[in-house]
Amino acid sequence: MLGLGKGPAGKYVSQRTQERVRRVSVILTALLVAIFVSIPVYVMIAIAFQPATTTFRGGTVNLLFDSFTFENFVLLFTDTGTPRYLFNSLIVTASSTLLATALSVAAGYGLTRFEFRGKTMAARAVLFAYMFSPIVLAIPLYVIFFTLGLLDSYFALTLALTGISAPFGIWLMWQYFQTVPIALEESAWIRGASRTRTLWEVVLPVARPGTIATAIFSFSVAWNDFTMARVVMSQDEMYPITVGASLFLDRVTIGWSETMAAAVLMSLPPFAIALFLQNYLLQGFNVGGLE
Amino acid sequence: MSAVSTLQGRLAEFDEKRLLLLATFVPFTLFFVLVWGVPIGYALGMSLFSDPTGAAEFAAFANYAGVLTSELFSTALFNSVVYALSSTILSLVLGLGLALVVNREITGGNALRTMMIFPYLLPTLVVIFMWTFLLDPNVGAVNQFLLDYGLVQEPLAFFSSTQWAMPAVVVASVWKYGSFAFFILLARLQAIDPNLYERARVEGASTWQAFRDITVPHLRGAILIIILVRGIWMFNKFDIIYLATRGGPLDATTTLPIMVYELAFRGSPNFGGATALAGIMFMLLAAVAVVYFWVFEPEQEVAN
Repeated sequence: MLGLGKGPAGKYVSQRTQERVRRVSVILTALLVAIFVSIPVYVMIAIAFQPATTTFRGGTVNLLFDSFTFENFVLLFTDTGTPRYLFNSLIVTASSTLLATALSVAAGYGLTRFEFRGKTMAARAVLFAYMFSPIVLAIPLYVIFFTLGLLDSYFALTLALTGISAPFGIWLMWQYFQTVPIALEESAWIRGASRTRTLWEVVLPVARPGTIATAIFSFSVAWNDFTMARVVMSQDEMYPITVGASLFLDRVTIGWSETMAAAVLMSLPPFAIALFLQNYLLQGFNVGGLE
Repeated sequence: MSAVSTLQGRLAEFDEKRLLLLATFVPFTLFFVLVWGVPIGYALGMSLFSDPTGAAEFAAFANYAGVLTSELFSTALFNSVVYALSSTILSLVLGLGLALVVNREITGGNALRTMMIFPYLLPTLVVIFMWTFLLDPNVGAVNQFLLDYGLVQEPLAFFSSTQWAMPAVVVASVWKYGSFAFFILLARLQAIDPNLYERARVEGASTWQAFRDITVPHLRGAILIIILVRGIWMFNKFDIIYLATRGGPLDATTTLPIMVYELAFRGSPNFGGATALAGIMFMLLAAVAVVYFWVFEPEQEVAN
């Protein structure tokens, strides 16, 4: 399998030199990526927590963090629609996370535990939906919601968001339940537990890591979403924070400092997930990850 | 034990099983029918009518012909391909490079991994705020850097020049989506038996040979999946491009998803055209999905 001794590198360069070259390139890559990833984040934080007068002092941009303030956040809450946007975001994110997770867990359980014809078709439908383009789905959903008079409602946005997050959740739970041995359930049945009780007391606790991963992915789809909200919501007071804040750059009264403060607020949940729940997230990547 | 109570037990068991069956399959089926089947069918239907939301009149494939022959379509298709290819390949290179690095268990590898999760979870809008600021011609750090080192004479308006808008959108996209490839490849790398490398080293294989003959074959499947799935997603990407440039300047970053949105919501709405274009994108996706199912058989993972 190994083409040993054929390549020129193996012949003329000692393994120690190679190891050294590799070490240096490893550290260099790590450093470059770390800089590439962290600079935008640093810039966001610096602008958000510095007074605007410090950031834009003397015609150049100062990002050295020599004074600290919350005034940008105060302005954001008093002068813009941010409180309302955040409230809307919280409502649709919470409801669609709940709905998508419940749906995924139920479907995942059913799809693994019951035999039926057309399993291949079901799997393909789920995967197809998982690869689908949100904007292509958004257009007909808009027309349908318009016809039903449901535009500008939490219900419509919740449904649309669940539409794009649930396929991956279902796929994840489907795979997850396959790793939960049915013997666990069988032994509970033998000891006289009903199927429903087994479900609550045996299956769901064992499936908790998968459920949390599903919830995290559904949460980030909903929290992140711009496309569906842009299409379904047309009134300012119904905008989630992503759509509401996207209009900041066009408004002369709102500067970079408040805009970055809004960005920091939107980054808080992802930040918390990255810090505290990353293992669940990585588990999700083992079955494919999400858009 | 009487026969009656056994029968009752069986019936109860049967009912419960049926109830569970209903509880799991009804929501699943309803979901797919209502949120996927109906809208897609509805869109395909609408695409056959002229002015489907107003005085609808059956027009067969006139909408499709209109979209396909419009000048914007070829531009948008070209832009979609350029955007999807460049952002997918760059994310893959970045993800692969970093996965190889973190897999070496260097100091700070875990911190790097945590750091990589963050861009992936950040709302697209936040990513665009950051890059709009960094690439701004007046206040942006990138332009200041370029000017200071004499690399450019005039600041570059990245997002609003026809020449630089696409590269700028690609950079922002790679920043956000690069970690997707990273996490998948890292998981594959960590699943490779370390003894393979040990044996190769003992037998005198060079680093390059070990990489070519051990690492690459183990990653091949994952790389193909990333190119395929990431490629589809980037081809269909709407939000990051729309937020960065609205498809401009002069359609320089108008991809097919942007064109769908413009047809449906800009100026005088043309839902016939928009749904026809959505139908075309649907068929493109279906074609790719057929290849995906045929080559990779992903359904084997659950339906065996």
